[in-house]
Amino acid sequence: MREKLAIALAAAGGALLVYNLYQMFLVLPDEAMQGAIYRILFFHAPAAIVGMVGYFVALTFSVLYLSSKDLRWDSLAASIVEVSLVFSLINICTGSIWARIIWGIWWTWDYRLTSALVCVLIFAGYLMLRRAIDEPTQRGRLSAALCIFGCVDVVIVWKSIEWFRNQHPGPVLSIRTGGGHMDPAMERIFWLNGLALLLIAIALVLIRTRQEATTREIDSLRRLAHAV
Amino acid sequence: MDARNFTFMFYGFTAAWLIVLIYVVSLARRGARLKKELENVKQLIHSEDTAREQRLEDRVR
Amino acid sequence: MKPLYQAFSVARKDLAVEFRTKESLNAAAAFSVAILLLFSFAFDPFSDTIHELAGGLLWLTFAFAGALVFNRGFSRELPNECLDTLLASPLEPSSLLIGKAIGVFFLLLIVEVISLCVFGIFYGMRWWLHPGELALTCGLTTWGIAIVGSVFGALTVNLRLRELMLPVIIYPLLIPLLIGAIETTNTLLIEQPFTGYEWLWAKVLLVFDIVFTSLAVALAETILVN
Repeated sequence: MREKLAIALAAAGGALLVYNLYQMFLVLPDEAMQGAIYRILFFHAPAAIVGMVGYFVALTFSVLYLSSKDLRWDSLAASIVEVSLVFSLINICTGSIWARIIWGIWWTWDYRLTSALVCVLIFAGYLMLRRAIDEPTQRGRLSAALCIFGCVDVVIVWKSIEWFRNQHPGPVLSIRTGGGHMDPAMERIFWLNGLALLLIAIALVLIRTRQEATTREIDSLRRLAHAV
Repeated sequence: MDARNFTFMFYGFTAAWLIVLIYVVSLARRGARLKKELENVKQLIHSEDTAREQRLEDRVR
Repeated sequence: MKPLYQAFSVARKDLAVEFRTKESLNAAAAFSVAILLLFSFAFDPFSDTIHELAGGLLWLTFAFAGALVFNRGFSRELPNECLDTLLASPLEPSSLLIGKAIGVFFLLLIVEVISLCVFGIFYGMRWWLHPGELALTCGLTTWGIAIVGSVFGALTVNLRLRELMLPVIIYPLLIPLLIGAIETTNTLLIEQPFTGYEWLWAKVLLVFDIVFTSLAVALAETILVN
């Protein structure tokens, strides 16, 4: 059942992506200032949003795990962090390529870039930590604590660097600015692409949690085998 | 400038898709490995069950 | 008041043990001095640029020396099941955690004072010109390092790969704290008082400390009790 849902979501996301790609390349014109490369934005920013939302959803599940000690929440949080990390990487790579053309450099220590990097470091540490611990409850406890501390840390980094290092383009979406910064046709494709990435992310998370469940099953069967 | 602009856009899209592709491949490989492991463990338990039954039968005889 | 009193008795015990053996104190101090000596080869120690880098050098040294101290904090309790005994005692888990952090805090402060003296001599820095602000920066940052170090030291105490995992987890978490410390200390080392900019960073340090200490207290039971 869950596999079917994952396949359906991935298929829907894929179809939406095909439509978006068609719109991006064949319908929407080049941007006046940046030329063709602005199209990276359609992947760059939604990937960032999906990644960030993912970390905070994982935070919720980590808290749920700590209060209920149900390992399913732990697997869910870990799966979400893993998929979010993939999207964060997409965000950083595409952003870096965009910056090379527009700013002339691959990287700058702007607050958004710095916090994105801190995020990747913390949650890469999270995944490494999970690999290093074999005992499931200890792994759950430790990674839940790290997820909570990590999310709080990212907020502090974001807020503290915000007021002194700012090179990244400001908000252009109408939910932040009240409209007028971005062409509505472009903004529509932006959100549609965000939806497509979100669908794909959810599908990946579903597949990943399924694998975590299999791991737990293998563990319990092993224990049974030892008991026999 | 424009040609470079276009090439870098292409690089950006390639990077994004490549990362997803690598992740999906690693996911699939991990899934296959887990499936095999599950089969192995199930077989182990099954063989142990039959072995125990065999021992019991021997004792009855 | 009782939890605080308990925390201080844990800290007093830790400090007494540490002063008797001086294991991690000696290691951390020796490490800091060695690193500071090495930095003098990486940069020209009497050029003007060193003043702009000095805060960064100092805090990186302290952060790495800190690992030697908080690494020992909980693992010292492993032999003879001391940790289990402490947890079985009427101590509040949060008091134990805070007490450990207080112990680490004082040890780190000692290492910092030693390093600052060495730094003053080796590099001709006059770091004592604004003692209040320096004490504030050191106090806030060191407490942040101590509390994060103790939380993750406690979480990883039973881990086989503890020495490997602890830095991977802790240093990314300490980034905002260390940025703040470096920004403020750089100003102090070019012999300027704090301006609005540095006070804002001091506030960031304070917020970091408050947030992470409250998180540690709130999660103490899950962190410590298996």
